[in-house]
Amino acid sequence: MQNTQELIRQVYAAKEDAQAADRFICAYLPFIRAETARFLCRPPVEGQDDELSIAMIAFYEAIRRYSRVQGAFLRYASLLIRSRLIDFCRRERRHAQALSLEQPLGGDGPALADTLADRQDLQEEVTHRTAAQREIEALCCQIRQFGAELSDVADNCPRQQRTLDACRRALQCAKEHPELLDALIRTKRLPLGQLAALSGVERKTLERHRKYMIALLLIQTNGYEIIRGHIKQVLRGGSAR
Amino acid sequence: MKYLVMERRTGYAVLLDEAGCFWKAADLRYAVGQTVCDPVLLRDAPRGGLQLARRAGAALALAACLLLFAGFGYYRTYLRAYSFIYLSINPQVQMDLNRRGTVVRLTGTNEDGQALLQGYSGRGKDTVTVADELIDRAIEMGFLSEGGQVSFSIDTPDEALFQEYGTELRTQVNTHLEGRITVTIQITDFKQEPDAGSSAGAAPPASSAPPAPVTPQATPAPPPADGGSDYGDSGYGAAAPPAGSDYAAAAPQQGGGDSGYETQPVGGSDFEAPAGGSDFGDAGDADDDDADDDDD
Repeated sequence: MQNTQELIRQVYAAKEDAQAADRFICAYLPFIRAETARFLCRPPVEGQDDELSIAMIAFYEAIRRYSRVQGAFLRYASLLIRSRLIDFCRRERRHAQALSLEQPLGGDGPALADTLADRQDLQEEVTHRTAAQREIEALCCQIRQFGAELSDVADNCPRQQRTLDACRRALQCAKEHPELLDALIRTKRLPLGQLAALSGVERKTLERHRKYMIALLLIQTNGYEIIRGHIKQVLRGGSAR
Repeated sequence: MKYLVMERRTGYAVLLDEAGCFWKAADLRYAVGQTVCDPVLLRDAPRGGLQLARRAGAALALAACLLLFAGFGYYRTYLRAYSFIYLSINPQVQMDLNRRGTVVRLTGTNEDGQALLQGYSGRGKDTVTVADELIDRAIEMGFLSEGGQVSFSIDTPDEALFQEYGTELRTQVNTHLEGRITVTIQITDFKQEPDAGSSAGAAPPASSAPPAPVTPQATPAPPPADGGSDYGDSGYGAAAPPAGSDYAAAAPQQGGGDSGYETQPVGGSDFEAPAGGSDFGDAGDADDDDADDDDD
């Protein structure tokens, strides 16, 4: 009984805190593996079986969705993991007819990928990815100064088109008024009042998506060309979707 | 749609799509800074709007249930017939009463009864009021005259209600007719009538014969136990048995014989509700009369 109460307490803590969620998932990794193994009828191989990743995110989803009225957490998580694994298998079955690039061509011949002309410059890609990693790390550090993490930003990101459009309007307004970005960096506070007044977006909307707005505005500051290039559609003022 | 991998955590990865949205997705061996397509996104838990809609739905369902219960309670108390009173003068009228004693439906069970109810609606009125008004109409239409008889056959599952209706009808109708006309008022228990078993819930036997006024003074003495009686041939509907039977309860009594408290003339009524749950009817009398019939 005590264990059950403690487990529920941990689940509710993990709902609120990304670090606690990480710790909880780590602690229950054997359970997640066991559920995956039960589904695959063999032990999953870490770094090779996508099913394990699916089971982990399903476990995380169970943490987020769980409430006491749903009964025992582990049973609920087990059901959710199984459902997500079934969904994943169905999704993958659609690609069953596709040829694998790793597939050898006739007996012991070279792999299919080796026979295709490589249109990508691997060196360039690695360079690009490394630069992107540096940008992302810098962005993460900067976001942490505002008391948030990228995980929080993802949770705080608007999902409705109307809200996304409102946030985009505020972003455009900030681009046109660089003093707002300066104020953000200097004071480590989002200039909500000015943004709302200049963009015409309701202050409440901006407040509700504060962490997301901070991330977007930080991306607008110097040093994040790759990330800005990725979301250029939004920055151009086009449709968010 | 392409997604830029922003962060990798224990159970998931954080991705940024080209529309500027951040997502949590399954970490399918991604690397930070990698651009991926077709990730397995985390399905969001029901958000505020959906939760609100669910709560509103639940509240609506609860309200509907309450309304249903309230409606059922209202129907049970006010609309559903619980007791029945068969009024026989010669026009025969069935009064359906709810639990509160209010008339919910009036039915003329013979031609005269239908004529009596023509243009009259007693729905929602008190039993006594309806009885008084129907008797007034019967007098106006010539169905009831001096020395006539008014019979109330009460059919209710509740003994206390039977007592209440019986007492109320007798006293109130007596008071209503006092000084205007002398009639005999008879109260019987529908269930204890000889033919109640066969006609329970149904209308009393119909008859369109004109009323036969009975003057208490003119009522002959009850016959001896071994003697024959043809009081039952009066054809008084529910209060009266089918033709041919001797239902002495329907006949006014004078002097000795049956209790006679059910056949009090107006103005001189000394009726008191018998204590101990005694009913107003005369099942015992009927039995006596049956015995008479046997003797016959």
